[in-house]
Amino acid sequence: MSTTPAPKALRGLGNYIDDRFHLAKTGEKNLRKVFPNHWSFMLGEIALYSFIILLVTGVFLTLWFNPSMGHVVYDGSYERLRGVGMSEAYASTLHITFDVRGGLFIRQVHHWAALIFVASLVIHMLRVFFTGAFRKPREINWLIGVAIFTLAIVEGLFGYSLPDDLPSGMGVRIFQGVLLAIPVIGTYLMMFMFGGEFPGEAIIPRLYTLHILVIPGILLALIVAHFMILWHQKHTQYPGTGRTEKKVVGTPMYPAFAVKAGGFFFFTFAVIAGLAAFVQINPIHLFGPFTPTSITSGLQPDWYMGFLEGALRIFPNWFDFTIAGYAVPMGVLLPGLGGMGLLFGGLAAWPFIEAWITGDKRHHNVADRPRNAPTRTGIGAAGVTAYGLIWLAGSNDILSETFSISLYATTWFFRIAIILGPIIAFIVTKRICLGLQRRDREILEHGYESGTIQQLPSGEFIEVHKESSPDTVHVLQSKPPARIDIDSTDENGVEPPSGRGAKGRLRARLAHWYTKDNVSFEGVRPHSGHHLHHGATASEEESVKAH
Amino acid sequence: MKWITARRRHPLAGYVVVIIALAFFGVGYAFVAPNADRAQAQTVAAGSEEAPVDISNGKQIFVQSCASCHGLDGKGTENGPDLTGVGAAAVDFQVSTGRMPSMNPDVQMPRRDPVYTEQEILDLAAYVDQEFGGGPAIPEQAPGLAPQRSDFEDESEYKAAKEQYEAAYEQYIAGGDTEAGMKLYMTNCAHCHSWSGAGGALTDGRWAPEIHEATPREIYEAMITGPGAMPVFNDTTITEEEKQSLIKFVKDLQAEPDAGGVFSLDRIGQVAEGFIGWTVGMSLIVACAIWITAKQRAHD
Repeated sequence: MSTTPAPKALRGLGNYIDDRFHLAKTGEKNLRKVFPNHWSFMLGEIALYSFIILLVTGVFLTLWFNPSMGHVVYDGSYERLRGVGMSEAYASTLHITFDVRGGLFIRQVHHWAALIFVASLVIHMLRVFFTGAFRKPREINWLIGVAIFTLAIVEGLFGYSLPDDLPSGMGVRIFQGVLLAIPVIGTYLMMFMFGGEFPGEAIIPRLYTLHILVIPGILLALIVAHFMILWHQKHTQYPGTGRTEKKVVGTPMYPAFAVKAGGFFFFTFAVIAGLAAFVQINPIHLFGPFTPTSITSGLQPDWYMGFLEGALRIFPNWFDFTIAGYAVPMGVLLPGLGGMGLLFGGLAAWPFIEAWITGDKRHHNVADRPRNAPTRTGIGAAGVTAYGLIWLAGSNDILSETFSISLYATTWFFRIAIILGPIIAFIVTKRICLGLQRRDREILEHGYESGTIQQLPSGEFIEVHKESSPDTVHVLQSKPPARIDIDSTDENGVEPPSGRGAKGRLRARLAHWYTKDNVSFEGVRPHSGHHLHHGATASEEESVKAH
Repeated sequence: MKWITARRRHPLAGYVVVIIALAFFGVGYAFVAPNADRAQAQTVAAGSEEAPVDISNGKQIFVQSCASCHGLDGKGTENGPDLTGVGAAAVDFQVSTGRMPSMNPDVQMPRRDPVYTEQEILDLAAYVDQEFGGGPAIPEQAPGLAPQRSDFEDESEYKAAKEQYEAAYEQYIAGGDTEAGMKLYMTNCAHCHSWSGAGGALTDGRWAPEIHEATPREIYEAMITGPGAMPVFNDTTITEEEKQSLIKFVKDLQAEPDAGGVFSLDRIGQVAEGFIGWTVGMSLIVACAIWITAKQRAHD
């Protein structure tokens, strides 16, 4: 801390404010708040910063965008489309692109920031999942995160639809198709949303209100809540010396963390602006305006909608049926809404499912190392694999054309891989985790391999193991107990009431499955293995003989 | 001591470097930036000079290069289809795009450099048209392949032919109506050839070829003859003027520079954008997070 007093003018101002709001104490406390340091704790910040960029550039775009489906004949400075009939929404987007100074750049920044925003939400969420940071007491914040993720995707879809260019219209058409597929209420819902038949005149103004007001408002509120809860509960940290469930080790908010975070904002902004300056994104002026008869191959939604597109593309129509003359298109309904439900429902439910299986009701402020929760890590990898495959399936026509693979072959590949891939990923990941656990145990017992080879008097060659640092030992010893004693009986051999009944038995089975393969560290004393004692000194030589 | 060594630590050296770099980028950009000449740089086709066709030469080419698959009588064999009534336009399309003569009758042929000169193709087309029954004629009004230097004896003759060709091309492209062409293209063509004309995947392992290099005449011929899996759009379905509008739309779009940046991602669109967003955007930002955290002093 600096000992030089602040300039007088500043002190005067500070005292003036403090006399009225008594901020000094709160400020001191919060400015000195400690944040643990790890690069993976900054992934959520990328989302925050890209959201800020989205808000700022979005406001800029609203100054000129005209959300109207009123018909005009274009008369702007983009020569190719002069005299072409189009909606006012599309014409005003052309105006932003070609007649507003910096308009095209800001539009591209807005679009790239949207791609980065959702991508950073995904990797932030994966970090939280794999380190078990969603566990008690942070389940509510996890749920808020899932809500932000869901809304971000919907927000992106609506924003994509606004310029009323060719891909916009096709996206809205799919959106309409999915609405129509909902049994009984589907047609009513669609007519309500579109104010009549597709495309009508109402959909763009309505999506505009949702895109610039309702959803960003909710997103902002959720993000604030996310941060307030984070502030209150403090950030999780990885295991290490001095770090406990009750003590956070890290950098104070001010100045170090604020400087780091501020610098990181500028870097995020630089990358997004760099992409916007050099890489063309969503060239609406090339796509041309949407008309209901237009349809093209080789166009996709933005990447975050890709998994839904992929689900629609590979899902077979075998389950479609008709009741009393009303078609129930399961081939649209299941992938369209089922896919979303599975992803968001699964994400939201997982903390509670895991807590129920493990019976773990404790507070966790120290994050898990992914290898120490192999089943969870395996399930996460299976989820990532399933998502990745179905996302790739959304680009099957591009893959087919780029790599000269038959389109039908890609469909069948993805149909089979979507079932086999996650299973393989689960098994492989879990095995890798268990292998790492064994290595951890080995290092804890024997120290690390020094790379020094020694010849014993007997002629035998050995590699000298050296003692790991206290910090490493601490990290390795932080591994939670291997098994959960969920089906333990009391001293009279009676099983607990919770273990009875179908639910209890299912839970016991799941708990067994969840932890059965864990490597036990029980009774392992650090550096007690005999390799370590193959030292060069005479005294250690003796201990070798004693073995 | 070298001149540069003496001066590189001068207080103003940094500014000099920045100014040189800025000048370098500025001048460099002026060279790289798209301008009207480059945007217009298109492979284009020759004017329709009325040259007499030599049917006997056409027959000779047919016997040499076509008859092994299509049969001497043009009725087709198991390797090639019947040519009865295909007409001159079909021959001109297949041979001028280099798809025929085919190297492998079992696969869909990609576009290649034509094996025969324009005159030889015309001879062959006239022979096929006369011998196996007439079909759609070559649409002479749409410009075909650009004159090649190798077809001309001296430079001035070539330049004259090229200028004449380019004028004809400009005139043809200027003629249509963008809106009508766009609607026709988006309704009839884009679901296979894609909005940008980059082509796309079809069923059963086939593909719709990209049409960037196709001349107006080849696009026209493809419409009236329906090669491969493509349907026929004859002059009653889509009139001659409408075809001109459609071709104008396609060629204008292809000539259009990419306003959004140096990297146009081949106009693939969202798949490429998502890929770049993750591989370039996210990796750079995450690398920075790692770097910032690593550079941080342990306890401050």
